[in-house]
Amino acid sequence: MITVNGKQIEWEENLTVDRVLKTMNYSFPKIVVRVNGKVVEQKMWSAYKVPNDAEVQAHHLIAGG
Amino acid sequence: MSGVVEKMRASRKVLAEYNYEPAQIERGYAGKTLYINLSNKNIISKDVTQQMKDIFIGGKGFGLWYLWNAVKPDTKWNDPENEIIISPGPISGITQYPGSGKSLVVTLSPLTDSIMDSNVGGFFGPYFKFSGWDALEIQGKADKDVVVFIDGDNGRVTIEEVDLDPSASHLLSDQLTELMAESEQGRKNVSVVSSGSGAEHTRIGVLNFSFYDLRRKAARLKQAGRGGIGTVFRDKKLAALVVKFSGLSGKSNNPADPAKIARTGVKITREINKFDDTQFRMRQIGTANLMTPMNDYDLLPVHNFKYGSHKDAVGISSEVLRSRFTQKMPDGCWVGCALSCCKAVDDFVPKTGPFKGEKVIVDGPEYENAAGLGANCGIFDADYVIEANFYCDTYGIDTISTGTIIAFIMECYEKGIVNKKITGGLELNFGNAEAAMELIHQMGQGRGFGNIAGQGVRRLKKIFAEEYGGDPAFMQDIGMENKGLEYSQYQAKESLAQQGGYALTNKGPQHDEAWLIFMDMVNNQLPTFEKKAEALHYFPMFRTWFGLQGLCKLPWNDIIPESNATSESPEKIPEHVQNYVDIFNAVTGKSIDQDEMIRQSERVYNFQRVFNLRMGFGTRKHDAAPYRGLGPVTEEEYESRQERYDKQLKEDVGINPEGMSTAEKVAAMRSYRQGRYETLIDVVYKRRGWNENGVPKLEHLKELGIDFPEVVEVVKKHL
Repeated sequence: MITVNGKQIEWEENLTVDRVLKTMNYSFPKIVVRVNGKVVEQKMWSAYKVPNDAEVQAHHLIAGG
Repeated sequence: MSGVVEKMRASRKVLAEYNYEPAQIERGYAGKTLYINLSNKNIISKDVTQQMKDIFIGGKGFGLWYLWNAVKPDTKWNDPENEIIISPGPISGITQYPGSGKSLVVTLSPLTDSIMDSNVGGFFGPYFKFSGWDALEIQGKADKDVVVFIDGDNGRVTIEEVDLDPSASHLLSDQLTELMAESEQGRKNVSVVSSGSGAEHTRIGVLNFSFYDLRRKAARLKQAGRGGIGTVFRDKKLAALVVKFSGLSGKSNNPADPAKIARTGVKITREINKFDDTQFRMRQIGTANLMTPMNDYDLLPVHNFKYGSHKDAVGISSEVLRSRFTQKMPDGCWVGCALSCCKAVDDFVPKTGPFKGEKVIVDGPEYENAAGLGANCGIFDADYVIEANFYCDTYGIDTISTGTIIAFIMECYEKGIVNKKITGGLELNFGNAEAAMELIHQMGQGRGFGNIAGQGVRRLKKIFAEEYGGDPAFMQDIGMENKGLEYSQYQAKESLAQQGGYALTNKGPQHDEAWLIFMDMVNNQLPTFEKKAEALHYFPMFRTWFGLQGLCKLPWNDIIPESNATSESPEKIPEHVQNYVDIFNAVTGKSIDQDEMIRQSERVYNFQRVFNLRMGFGTRKHDAAPYRGLGPVTEEEYESRQERYDKQLKEDVGINPEGMSTAEKVAAMRSYRQGRYETLIDVVYKRRGWNENGVPKLEHLKELGIDFPEVVEVVKKHL
């Protein structure tokens, strides 16, 4: 299992950041992703492997009203 | 000169005149304010005291202070002593940092009967300040329509009768701009404040502040939209305010440290140029960039806030609206704003109403217009949204309230509370664009059912209950108003923090105090009541600060600096917060830090809370939210997101939903959510230094330095 923004989801082999965001339906284009506290740049999302038990923060930088 | 303007010029009759030597601006302040009484035509100059600058700063702070001194606890919005105060704030008018041309307008509201404030762009505020004034107080009522002219070039203020038609704000703004300018080139030096016929017939009138667009050769409009300020304006028989100031330069605000402002401005302008195209695309789409993500994340209000998304929302998506904007160049409402969020549809031809078949310029649509007039009413047609946007603006009615009012009526219509007989034949089902447009015309022109609709949701609930037998409890649940003001257009059911961000406000549910939906619901950055309360302290205070200074919120977090990714508090955009501290210090010569910045706001925010108390509001019962804003009212709402709600019942509430009827589940969910909202209120009040009834504690007021005898006297009655 991994935790994404406080919610638990199943972990699988070769789980990438891209895949995590898709699973969470996070389609917003401006998200800062941290895995276990370390920022993963957007260009690395398709390659970066999220380890089991990871804590993922996907902070949407949306400005709103 | 056009024939209409020629006729206006010939008809000018000066009722009162005041000549003055325009004050030199010193570190962001003129040091003088202008008072005009429309009843006795008295025009005087007042001095700005050091206490005003220290405690109230400017903008909304000055507005509140003047209004406090003008009214009594029993003053009503349409009493002559009610004032409209317009104040730009000390930073307003600088041209080196984006979003620095705002004004704040304060009055007693015909919707809430209490204090209203609204933040507006356009050229009026800066030009007015550079004409020698930090604030304008308008009190009294004229017998006939009058125009106030402020000639900052020649130091002359006049109250005049002019033969004009105040019903269409876009025309009146153009005409008065032409009248006041000495040449076509000079029109850029004129700004007009006006409303429209809708402000005379409804409680949701706006003020349109113009900014002259040299490329289009037309006066464009920005709105002080919330709370019916335009209704007060027209009740005073004020047709327009016109200011002329021809000497604008980068030094007009005469700051203490212009080099520091320039450096800070260059830094953020580079950020905008570098990142905007890959971030929020404010320059391309403006706030309409929110339409698509709001729908994707189930946050777009649909069918009177029942739902958060709709399959047809693609019809008014960000890209569809972008394709309708006709300018392909940066477009801002004040000089030097690199964020350039203004958008327009040129040569739009309305299909209905008094301008049917004519080419008009439509300012917008912005997110709130498309979400409120469109999605919330179940209308996913860009042409409708643009036309409704145009007519709301020129009739001078608030697009946000209009959207929420029509959505409420549509739900009542579908529930049989009102019918065709009551609506005068309008079939106000969700999605009926033709009927909705006709209702807007009726509101704008004071015809038929529009006269009832324009009273706003709070009064509609009463009318529908008393005259048509509607269930008051049901309408209380679905009528999206708090304090009498209609909700703005975000679906907050899944964000407890935003529920507080809407209802635990001073003026009512406008998102300009706090917008916490993503932080809370998606990012889960506020998992505890204490964290939510901290956010509901910090952000309302921080955002109040824009209104003290004459600033726009957008350049704070609609462009994200590189440093933010590694920041400890990315949601605060710390680099930009420091920019604002630097600019304030560079303008005023003071030396505040980020803590004092929040303190400045806290003083004004708490003063406004006490002012609400003084007017008979401002306690816990006034912070109650309609249940539609907290959770699913009806079984159809619950069932539309059953998986989500069942999971919440099981995991958060500790109830197994299996075997329960939908009605039972709705009731269980309601009990849970209302309980959490009450707990939130307790924790937020504590964080804000208020007692359990929402009354600021005396020691807190003392700590803030606003324990004036008259403030203490008000508060003591509630302790």
